[in-house]
Amino acid sequence: MIEFNQVSYNHPDGTNALNDINLKIQKNSITAIVGNNGAGKTTLVKHINGLLKPTTGKVIIQNNDTKKLSVAELSRNIGMVFQNSNHQLFADTVKNEILFGLHNFGFDELYIKERYEFVTDLFDLKKYEEISPLKLSGGEKKKVCLASVLAWNPDILILDEPTVGQDELQKSILLDFINSLHKNDKTIIIISHDIEFLWRLQPKIVTMSDGRIIEINNTEKIFTNKELIDQVGLIAPQIVRIFNGLGIVNDIPINLNDAAKMIKNWSNE
Amino acid sequence: MYFIANGFIYRKSNSIIHKLDPRVKLLISIQLFTLALLVSDLYNLAIIFGAISIFSVLGKITKRLLRTMIFATGFSVLILIINYFAGYSLLYSIQIALRFIAIVCSTSLFFLVTSPDELEYVLRWFKLPRDLVFAFVTSVRFVPVILMDTLQIIDAQKSRGLELEKGNPIIRIKKFVPILVPLIINEVIRSGELAEAMESRGYGISKKPTSLYSLQLINRDIIVILSTSISFIMIISFGY
Repeated sequence: MIEFNQVSYNHPDGTNALNDINLKIQKNSITAIVGNNGAGKTTLVKHINGLLKPTTGKVIIQNNDTKKLSVAELSRNIGMVFQNSNHQLFADTVKNEILFGLHNFGFDELYIKERYEFVTDLFDLKKYEEISPLKLSGGEKKKVCLASVLAWNPDILILDEPTVGQDELQKSILLDFINSLHKNDKTIIIISHDIEFLWRLQPKIVTMSDGRIIEINNTEKIFTNKELIDQVGLIAPQIVRIFNGLGIVNDIPINLNDAAKMIKNWSNE
Repeated sequence: MYFIANGFIYRKSNSIIHKLDPRVKLLISIQLFTLALLVSDLYNLAIIFGAISIFSVLGKITKRLLRTMIFATGFSVLILIINYFAGYSLLYSIQIALRFIAIVCSTSLFFLVTSPDELEYVLRWFKLPRDLVFAFVTSVRFVPVILMDTLQIIDAQKSRGLELEKGNPIIRIKKFVPILVPLIINEVIRSGELAEAMESRGYGISKKPTSLYSLQLINRDIIVILSTSISFIMIISFGY
């Protein structure tokens, strides 16, 4: 479990980025963090793998205080995929890029080989293994970043804006992939502005504004609360706006097929 | 890194030093720089540090200039040791080390109170080629951006188990490859995109492009020029 206890964080220049954060993220859950730009979302998740240490308060990860552990020690169980793939990719081949983390954590060669085979099969990257990751398309680069993090099989996976620059097909693949990880007991945390994607994923949502948590609730409760989504600078998913317009605020269908069926039933009635 | 970089990056302020004409700020910086090169005794060095302190207080940049000083002190200690072991006296070695700090601070002083736009006006006033001015000012303007990129790349690689603090010096240097490669590639991509964006907005079409602003000295600037120039000449003539 991930636990934030009265966490505040000030940047080195003194500006306050997080203010009195209390948050519990359960094991094997999908949590999305949403909010306007500068709300403190990335600052919050950087506390999970120890890139940032709280100015006051405590962050407890699997019963360990992050202040007492290094980023490398925490990262063994926490994988973080950054928004910009170009900030991560450096190796001469896709293979070396994926092996980078595995070598850093000092796994034995047998395990490295096994994990490498697993992630390259999972992401269909075998065909690119001798190609520079920098020559790949945006979607393929994202896959390499994900593969290079999942390679060491972390229990917790943090995805910062995973849908940025991805076409609809890639988003659908990513959606299925997140759900499959969830089924495999992974804890997933996503930062995203992509409301349509979150609506399809239906995670628990943490809304943030000005370094504070405004509300934590399920997707439907958050996205049907107009006052709240206005406050955090978001726009409700299209399907929610349509059904709200029809006077429906509960049990809104998740996908368009269900919505179409529902509308068809009404017209038959 | 963030700590050191802040000792060289401009921040907007309404201090009296910030409001000066950028040519006056450059003049002050050059005067302090020249003095730091010429004088060698502790008494005159104290005057230079006194002047730097006054300008930093008036410019409300004391904290950030202190960061520059801390950064320069690291190198100046090395200079002191090298000079001392090369056979110079301890006093002379200290003076050389202090001169180095004064040189760095006088340069930093200018960049801390002068925006990239002002820097561009000054360089244009010197009639330097437009492309050269643009390239130089753009590189200054992008320092904070590159710094942010560097910090993000470090975070990304540390999240994959890279430990920059561990190992002997050679191993540590090697560990910077995963930081430098994405940084250089990102900046090359960015410079290409910037060039395309500039060309798309007509950069280079006119040989003599017009400018919205022009530099104009006011009474305050003239008073500062006179007072600092008189002090500079007096120190040069009688001080050392």
